This record gives sequence, C-alpha cells and structure tokens, in this order.
Amino acid sequence: MNKRARMRLIGVTAIVLIVIVAIFLGTGSKDGAYYRKVSEIVSSDEYVGERVRVGGTVIAGSWNRQSNPMIFDIRDEDSESGPTIQVIYQGGVPSTFGDGVVAIVTGEVTAEGTLESDDMITKCPSKYESAKDAIGIESLLDRADSMTGTTIKITGYVVGEIKAPGGESRFFVADEIGGTEDLAIFWEGALPAGMDGGSQVVILGALEDDGVFAATDVSLSEESRE
Amino acid sequence: MQIIGNLFVWLALIIAVVAIGSLFWGRRLGNKEGEGLTNTGYLATFGIFGATTVSVAILLAAFFREDFVFEYVAENHTTDVSGLSWLYKISGVWAGREGSLLFWAWLVAMFGAYVAYRRIQKTDELSNMSLVVFNIVQIFFLVSLLIDTNNPFKTSPDGWLGPNGELLIAVAMNPLLQHWAMILHPPTLFVGYAGLAVPFSFAIGALIVGDSSKTWVKIVDRITVFSWLFLGIGIGLGAIWAYVVLGWGGFWAWDPVENASLLPWLTGVGLLHSFTVYRRRGAFKKWAIVMATASFILVILGTFITRSGVIQSVHAFEKDPISLAIFLSMMVGAALAAAVGLSIRSKEFSADDEFESLTSKEASYYFNNVLMLVAAIVVAALTMAPAFGGKSYGPATYDAIARPVGILYVLIMAVCPMLSWRKTEGAVFWKRIKWPALGAAVLTAVFAVIWWVELWPNYLYQFPDASPLTSVVHSWEALLGLAVAALAISVSIFLFVDGARKRSTAKGEGYFTSLWRILSKARTQSGGYLTHLGIGIILFGLVGSTMFVHEQIVSVPSQPGSEFSVGRYDFAFQGAEQQQLDNGDTVTRVNFVVSKNGVPIGTAAPGQIEFFRQQQTKLNAYVLVEPLHDVFVVYQGGDEEFISMQVKINPLISWVWFGFLLTIIGTSLAMYPKKLAVAA
Repeated sequence: MNKRARMRLIGVTAIVLIVIVAIFLGTGSKDGAYYRKVSEIVSSDEYVGERVRVGGTVIAGSWNRQSNPMIFDIRDEDSESGPTIQVIYQGGVPSTFGDGVVAIVTGEVTAEGTLESDDMITKCPSKYESAKDAIGIESLLDRADSMTGTTIKITGYVVGEIKAPGGESRFFVADEIGGTEDLAIFWEGALPAGMDGGSQVVILGALEDDGVFAATDVSLSEESRE
Repeated sequence: MQIIGNLFVWLALIIAVVAIGSLFWGRRLGNKEGEGLTNTGYLATFGIFGATTVSVAILLAAFFREDFVFEYVAENHTTDVSGLSWLYKISGVWAGREGSLLFWAWLVAMFGAYVAYRRIQKTDELSNMSLVVFNIVQIFFLVSLLIDTNNPFKTSPDGWLGPNGELLIAVAMNPLLQHWAMILHPPTLFVGYAGLAVPFSFAIGALIVGDSSKTWVKIVDRITVFSWLFLGIGIGLGAIWAYVVLGWGGFWAWDPVENASLLPWLTGVGLLHSFTVYRRRGAFKKWAIVMATASFILVILGTFITRSGVIQSVHAFEKDPISLAIFLSMMVGAALAAAVGLSIRSKEFSADDEFESLTSKEASYYFNNVLMLVAAIVVAALTMAPAFGGKSYGPATYDAIARPVGILYVLIMAVCPMLSWRKTEGAVFWKRIKWPALGAAVLTAVFAVIWWVELWPNYLYQFPDASPLTSVVHSWEALLGLAVAALAISVSIFLFVDGARKRSTAKGEGYFTSLWRILSKARTQSGGYLTHLGIGIILFGLVGSTMFVHEQIVSVPSQPGSEFSVGRYDFAFQGAEQQQLDNGDTVTRVNFVVSKNGVPIGTAAPGQIEFFRQQQTKLNAYVLVEPLHDVFVVYQGGDEEFISMQVKINPLISWVWFGFLLTIIGTSLAMYPKKLAVAA
C-alpha cells in the first residue's frame, strides 16, 4: 500500500471512531443508568434528575393496571419494611406484573421523589428464610387444637401441584418430599422464584379452624439454598 | 440410561484426546510413517461424532418416553396438548442449559466429522493440524458437559417420582418456549455457532503450518457461509418469536441475549468478505485470521452472556452459574493462539497485492471489516458494562450509534460492486453508477412520499412535544436511511439487469436465459448481490419499523360495543371468550372489529393463556398485516369493568421480513457448493 493511501485510510478510520465515541458520549450519558437501591434514592436529593435503574418488590395493592400511566410502589427486595418509592410508568405492562413481583425499572428521579420510568422488566422474587426455628408439619397437626389461631413459622416440602390463586388452598406441604401427612396452605401472593413441587419452604401464618393454614409470607428455606 | 449417556460423553472425550494425540504424533513421524496414525486421528474424529450421537439419542428418547428419572427431562418436558406436542418433545433437548450444551457439542462433532470426511483422502498437514485445533475446542465442550451443573444426565432427586415413574412435582418446560419459532430458533443458532469453529480451526491450523496460500480459505469457505446463514436465520427466528410471543410489539430490543447472537454474525460478515479478497486478490490474509478468531471468541462470549445470567434480561432462560473458567480459557486461549501465531507468521501472511487508493474496492472491503469489528466491540462493551459495575444502556444508546453506522455501512455495501480493484477512476465510476443512481433517485422519491404520508404522522402522534431540532435530526436521519436503502436496492437490481444484458449480447442467448445462467452459474456473486438487495430492503423496513412506531395503551369498558381509536384505526369491542384446556391451561380471547378511516379491514382477536402447571401467563398478540403497516394488538388483561389494550402501529415491518427472506435465499445460493470445486 502506498503511504498516502495508508494515511488516508487511517485518517478516515479515526474519524469514524471519533464520531462513534462522540455519539456514545452524547446519548449514553443521558440514556445510561447506574443501578441504585430504593433506600439510596429516598435518603438523599443527590439523585434528583438522574436516570437510574432500580429493582424492587411491587407493594400489594399499590397499583392499577388500567391507569395510564401506571403508578405503583416498590421497595428494596432484601428489606421488608424499608422505604418505598412511587414509580410512574409509561409503556406496555409485562404480562407477569403483579403483587410481590420484582419490577426492574429505568427512569428519572423527580424532585417530588418519584421515579418517571419508560422501561420495565419483571422477575419473580427470590425469597429465603431459615427453617431452623420453624415447626414441622406433623408436630403442628398433632397439636392442631392448641395451635389454631396462633401465628407461627412452619417448614415443609411442597407436595404435588401448585394451583392458581383464588381457590381454597394454593398448595400442600409435608415433612418429607412426596409425604402423605400433608397440610393445605392458603396464600394469594406471589411465590418465590424457583419454588416448585419438592422445594423446602418456610411459611409464616396461622392454622385456621377448617384445618387450612393461612399464610402471611412464603419463602424458600435458607438451608436448601445452593 | 443416564449412566450410558454419561459413558458416551466420557468415551467421546477419550476419543478426542486420542485424535489429537495421533494427529500430532503422525505429523512428527512424517508423511510416510505417520500415515497410519494420522488416519487414526481422522477415524477418531468420526468416533467423537458417533459417541455424542448416542448421548443425544438417549436424551431424545428419554423425552419421548417421558422418563422423569432424568432430572433434565422432568424440568423441560412439555405440557402442551396441541398437535405440536411431539415437536416440543424434540425441542426439550435444547430447552434448558444442560441439553443445549450437549446438543451444541454434538453439532461441533458433526462439523468435525464432515471436515474429516472431506479431507481424509488428502490428509494434508494443514487439515491435520486444523483438526487438532478443532478437537481441542471439542474437548472444552465435552469437559463442560461432565460438570454437574451442565450435565443433562443427572438423576431426579428422591421424592420427585411416584411409584409408577409419574412426576409428583410441578416442573415443566417454560411455556414461553412453546412456540414454533422457539423450536427452530435455538438449533439454527447452534448450527451457526458450532460451524464457526471450523474457520477458526483452519485459521490457526494455517498459522501452525505456515501455509498462507488460499488453500485453507477454499476448504472452509462454504462451511463459513453455511454457518453464517444459519446464524442469520436463527437471529431472524428469534426476532419473530420476540415479536409474536413476548408481546411488546417490537422484534429487537438490544436485549443481552439478542446482542449475544448478533456479535458473531457481525464479525462473520467481515470474515466472509475477507475470504473473498483472500481468494481473489491474495490480500486481507491477517484480516481473515483476525475475523475468524473474533467470530469464534464472540460465539463463546455469547454463550457466556446467555447462560451465566450476569446481565438482567427479558429472556427468562436459566440463570445458574456456568463453568466460567472453561469458557473464559477458551476465549483467552483462542485470542492468544491467533496473536502469537500472527506475530510469528507475520511475514508469510502479508498481502501479495497492494491497493493504492481510498476509492478502490479493497478500501470498501477494509471499511466493511472495520465497521463490523467496531460494531461488534461496541455492542459487546455496552452489553457487558453493567456486569463490571458500569451503567446499563437502553435501546436509545444502541439506536443512536447503530443508525448512522448502519446507514454508512449499507452505503459502502451499495457502492462496493461499482468500484474497481486497486483504484477507481472517476470517469469510469460515473459511467457505471449513472443508471443505478438514476434508479435510486426515483426510488428515493417514492420512499419520501411514503415517509410523508405514512411515517411522519406516526411521529407526530407519538412525540407531540418533540423539539424542532430533534424532529429535524430524526427526519433527516430517516430520509438519509431511505435514500441509502434506495441506492442499495437500485444497484443490486442493476447488477442483475446489466449482467444479463451483457451476457446475452456476448453469448447470443435470450435475455432471460442469461439472467437465469447468471443466477445458476455465478452463484457466489449473484448470491452476494441478492443478499445485498435483501439488506437494502431491510434498511427500508427498519427506518419505518424502528423510527416511526405509534404505540398506545388504552383502557376500554368491558361491554361489547365499546370503542376506541389509535391514529387512523378504530376498534370496536365484540366480546370475550374463555376456554379451559385438558391440561388445565386457560385460554382467553377478546375480539375487536378494526376499521381504518371508517372502513372495516378485519377482526383482531388477541388473548392470553394462563398456564396451570407453570403458573405463568403468555400473551397472544394479534397482528393485522397491511402492506405498509402492521397493526399489533395485545390484550393485557382485565376485570369486570375494564380491559387493558395495547396497540402498536408498526410501519414497514413486513419489508424487514421480506428482506430477511431475500438474504437467506441469496446466502443459500452463495453457499450451494460447486460440484467440481472441491478444494485441492
């Protein structure tokens, strides 16, 4: 290759690269978003006007699918009583959206402390609880009379199918995988990600008069975690 | 059965080691004495294919027997009760990570066996050493299969199964994957991925033996086109699946998993064109090796992105940690092999031919490579950024870069066939481009009218508050894109028209006979031009379907007779139907009559399926196709009072699918082997 052609070639290549970098700096600085926690955003004004990406559990009852834009509250996935932030979301709602689901939204923090989002994906929450201080199913059933109505923590393995919410019970648990001494669990919320038949679960709630355990919280057992 | 499955993976691994050993040793003993050993190496390569075939067959049979003793079968068996369920039994093999790795390893083995079959008569040094490299790649795949998290032959945990082998627990294939495009999408991608190991192996093989002649290129040329074609089909099918199943109304979201499949396709474009220059001009030798290696590395990087779950993605594919070390060492190893090889063999792989000017054909090939390599690096960097604590980037960033780069790229692609090797004289160029440029001008005018009548109003609906500057930039970018698309289409058509005219004059044949002969004889070239034509049409479609979409979400009272409108389209609600299938899944459908400017154009019946066993919902979008628009209707759910509907007007999207089809036909034509042209 002759020298002049080579210089020109390098020159044009450099111009192309510079233009690409310039476009990236121009758009990327506005569009790119760092991952932040809800608690971080709520606790300081530092993020007002910044584009951020936040993931959090959707608070039950805080949303209405029909409203446009859709408004809902989220809270950091790893906390149960932490601060919440209101998300004002413009766009198509993923089909898996619902109470207790983790929504990952990207948008701008407003001066009012809300998040104006144009991008959302959802995933199932992953929840873990230790089964160490939980009561087994058989020992609960043996003492059913005295335990009815008391809020307790129980643990067991899911037996058989998990049904859709809305019925008398959602699923059954027993002391061993495939066990027959089982207990019906009533639970209307989202189930932890990865939970299926055979999973060891830790459930908070109370046994009712009809022999169904009304859950207030369902998690996977910490001990079964890989 | 699981033990036998694993046994054959082990067997394949041992045979691969034997193959590498005998090929190396055979080389040391020299041509004569080493012949027997070298032949053993070839036979062993067939053996790997045989052994992995048995493993795949065992897994496939387990799906048909519904043998839930296989944990992988339990987790990925289909619950579908439609006529397609037998196909989902096959697709179960690649529905999860473990099975798809086995399937991939098997495809790699198939390519290995094919190459061995083609070269066993010659057993030349180049092929021998390339087979060594190839079998080393194979070993990485086989070893990764034997790691517990990747092994498809694991036994189900105690308590999963009842006394008669029935499944007690609720696991099954992800229902989103139960779609025809998802049956085909993974295997076509995997064929492309696996095939790209061949040019890489021969590139390294050529470096090892120091043979910079075009021999290796001729051996792998068609296999590379074939692999690149399958990669392209796979990407296209994935786009169709995303459009129809994921229900968000687009086909490309710059999602990490989509990007992963795009990366080797981009460098593959560079690789194929480097091969052309290598074969015809004896230049771009180092480029060919760099692009072959880059494509291979990006295939592995793609697996890593897809399967490790490092980056959040809309794809709910599995997110277990993968054997990071194996894949990382494969990438680093490949890069090192090429870098060391190129520095040692730098002299041999210098170009025979030199080019003089920026207006030469070589320069356009050079920019083709540079743009594709840079595009791949940019996409990879943006995709991986959040994994290293950087920002995550949305489609806005990707689009902002991809649009100008894409338009520039298609411009180079369009002009390239009009240029001469070494240097293009201005007068010659103008003489050549005269007619195509005139055609392009006419076509641009037509496109501009379409833009004004069909596209621009959508922009006004969608962004009523856009600043004048943004609108002007957006419009000019779109018009430039349309003009370049027009040029690419016009030049490609001209090349056929003009080629046939010249041939018919020279040979005294009829015009259409000549046109047919050009297509059937000069396949590489006409296939290439047909692909260029397809790319031009795709660009036309992309301008409409990515820059001028009109989207609206509406709540409609859920009584029949209620109405809403989006742009020029009116929707009248007819009612909803619900039905429960035998497997417990519930199918809901809502019906709308759609009219445009007051004239009914059809009914839209979107719906959703609630999967009983998996507790998931799948949206069934409904698409009304018109020549210049798709009306994409999604039912988002509802209650007694309201139903929520999402409507997208997607202009020119059918043209993307049509262009895609043309590129497939063109590339297939280019790939179709010449009977007598078996490389010497």
